[in-house]
Amino acid sequence: MESLLGQGRAAIGLICDPDTFEENQVGAKTFDDPDFGPGAMVGTAKLDGQTVTVIGNDAEAFNEKFPVVYAGIIGMEEAYKMAQAVYATVAADVAKAKAEKRAIVLIVDTPGNGPGKTEEIFGMNKATGAYQLALAEARMAGHPIVAMVIGRAISGAFLCHGLQADHILSLDSSFGTMIHVMPLTSISRIVKKDIEVLEKLAEGNPVFAAGPQFFHRLGGVEEIVTTIEDMHAVVAKHVAEVRACKVKDQDDALGPWGRGSLGAERGGRVVRPEVIALLETEMDAVAKTYLPGAA
Amino acid sequence: MSNWSALQNRSFLESNARDRALGLVDEGSFTEFVGPFDRRTSPHLETLGEAVEFDDGVVTGIGKIGKTPVFVISQEGRFIGGSVGEVGGAKMVGTIKAAIAFAKRIAKDFPNAEEDEKPIIAISFETGGVRLHEANAGLLAHAEVMDQVQRARGHVPVVSLIGSKVGCFGGMGFVAAATDVVVMSEFGRLGLTGPEVIEQEMGKEEFDSADRGLVYRTTGGRHKYIMGDCNFLVDPEIAAFRAQLAELAKLPRAKFAEFRRIGTSELVEKQLKGVALAAKMQPKDARDVWVHVGNSDPVELGSMPLADFRKVVKRLAL
Amino acid sequence: MALNTIEFECKSAAPAVAIGKPLHFGVVGSGDLEVLMEPKALKGAVAIKVVTPVSGFDALWQRVLATFVENSKLGDVSIEINDNNATPAVVMLRLRQALSEAAA
Repeated sequence: MESLLGQGRAAIGLICDPDTFEENQVGAKTFDDPDFGPGAMVGTAKLDGQTVTVIGNDAEAFNEKFPVVYAGIIGMEEAYKMAQAVYATVAADVAKAKAEKRAIVLIVDTPGNGPGKTEEIFGMNKATGAYQLALAEARMAGHPIVAMVIGRAISGAFLCHGLQADHILSLDSSFGTMIHVMPLTSISRIVKKDIEVLEKLAEGNPVFAAGPQFFHRLGGVEEIVTTIEDMHAVVAKHVAEVRACKVKDQDDALGPWGRGSLGAERGGRVVRPEVIALLETEMDAVAKTYLPGAA
Repeated sequence: MSNWSALQNRSFLESNARDRALGLVDEGSFTEFVGPFDRRTSPHLETLGEAVEFDDGVVTGIGKIGKTPVFVISQEGRFIGGSVGEVGGAKMVGTIKAAIAFAKRIAKDFPNAEEDEKPIIAISFETGGVRLHEANAGLLAHAEVMDQVQRARGHVPVVSLIGSKVGCFGGMGFVAAATDVVVMSEFGRLGLTGPEVIEQEMGKEEFDSADRGLVYRTTGGRHKYIMGDCNFLVDPEIAAFRAQLAELAKLPRAKFAEFRRIGTSELVEKQLKGVALAAKMQPKDARDVWVHVGNSDPVELGSMPLADFRKVVKRLAL
Repeated sequence: MALNTIEFECKSAAPAVAIGKPLHFGVVGSGDLEVLMEPKALKGAVAIKVVTPVSGFDALWQRVLATFVENSKLGDVSIEINDNNATPAVVMLRLRQALSEAAA
């Protein structure tokens, strides 16, 4: 079976214009220490001739300082390094109009965040939280962010590297791509239901089963890419689509909020918008009594 | 629910989500959003034949502390560990969104509003993150909450309150870290990977999850206060959390950025000094860090009364 | 596998107690439940709806609730319960607590 699992570095050349990736350089920022956050690859490349920032996972790297970081795991250094790359991107184009702001391409193949004691003592949650905030800020500042899942997009690691993008794409599951919180076997054990029963239920309800096709139905994946050769063109197409939305101030169609609407459109998450609408109505009904000067 | 005055002296840890929400704001001021009477239970739990709750495990609404409108999100740990699914996630997202809209409305229609008439958001976390029964929807909801936290910046401060049994872990650990202010009791715990998971993945030598002292030293309120991940360490009663919120509500809204740990390029640079320290120290125990920052007797520091702790403790300065 | 819903009505021999306003009580923890009570004109009867993952105990629910309604003399109320494996003793306790809250 053809697969890009664990081959984030090779994927850069397949997604971006070949041989254009300059690692460790984003705008004015350089990443000079080769031992700093080696599990994260950051740099600048071209996509159809346009400058883009690339952020990916290097599954072959091992972080000597933090031994829980290997195989594409995002550790503290990796997460802050990724955040730095995002802030450097924003800084590089701060004076440019929305139409000119460079895109950020996230190449996603990560099984998790650093699960260690040192990580908890110093705050792993803070490191990956920092990266998510940076991506959200860049997205709101007008940079198109497109995530391409080429391998593993697992739970909290996907939350920080992927789920803050404007659009998320995934290679088809025949390439071994995995998007989930937990595999169905583990979910089966925890919720105490037979795997066969869960598999049957998943046909009608995509909310718990593992795989890009289920996230697609929930609006969590914009488009499934069916061949490796197509990745370049599809990523470029989505960068253009996202940019067009931003230029027209249609940011509500993008990012996590846009995925909510898409989930409703595709019939995968229909309760969410109802709940949000009800909450708004209830707030509107009492808002006056909480305004300044209200008795 | 009990009467409001009685709630004040109740332990935050032992209370349920609704009592915490009611007790945090002024008596009689709370309006619940998508509450039990709206009966918005999780359709996904129903499909799986799992027990449902009318509020899906999170209490959301608006109340007041003095003149300050306080948007409250309060998670219920006793219902499936406070886990976040489609309905509960939507309630969190909707509440933050409503708070941002309300703050913008006040900024526009009441340009002369006093600082303490502008809203704040308080999130009482009690969760391990995603609800596995509806894992995909829960994960997507987490990303939406984070997105709203970023959107709130500069409009309405978000305050994390962590003092519940379950603590704040998983994807909600990211969210708490990303808020403006973190208030904890010493019984609150904040992190990403829970002790059981670390032990399971990395072995008992890395983390013995049965060692309660170790668990609290690693993610508990005292430790997080020393590390600067917690801004205020309060007493364990609801009244203490409420008093801290009331104090914060009076501050100029621009001041809240100063409490942040992450969220700017400069703060990332600062945090990296902490990571460098972690690499250098390779601490086997949080106490190693306590000593490193100048606390000579870490065992005593962990056990002394909280009031003394707050007086003598030395904190990590990055 | 879906949830089990049990609906029935009980009536006290001498209904005398009503609730003034809707009330909610409890948390659906493991072995626990929550109760919603709302005033409803039912000619003195009490309408009950229980939603529970447990099946096969419909008769027991009816007996426990009938006892509660008789003892409390409650009437003209709709009661909704979300249950998660609560024992009859816990059911009875929560119902009494809910009612005492209504009185408070």
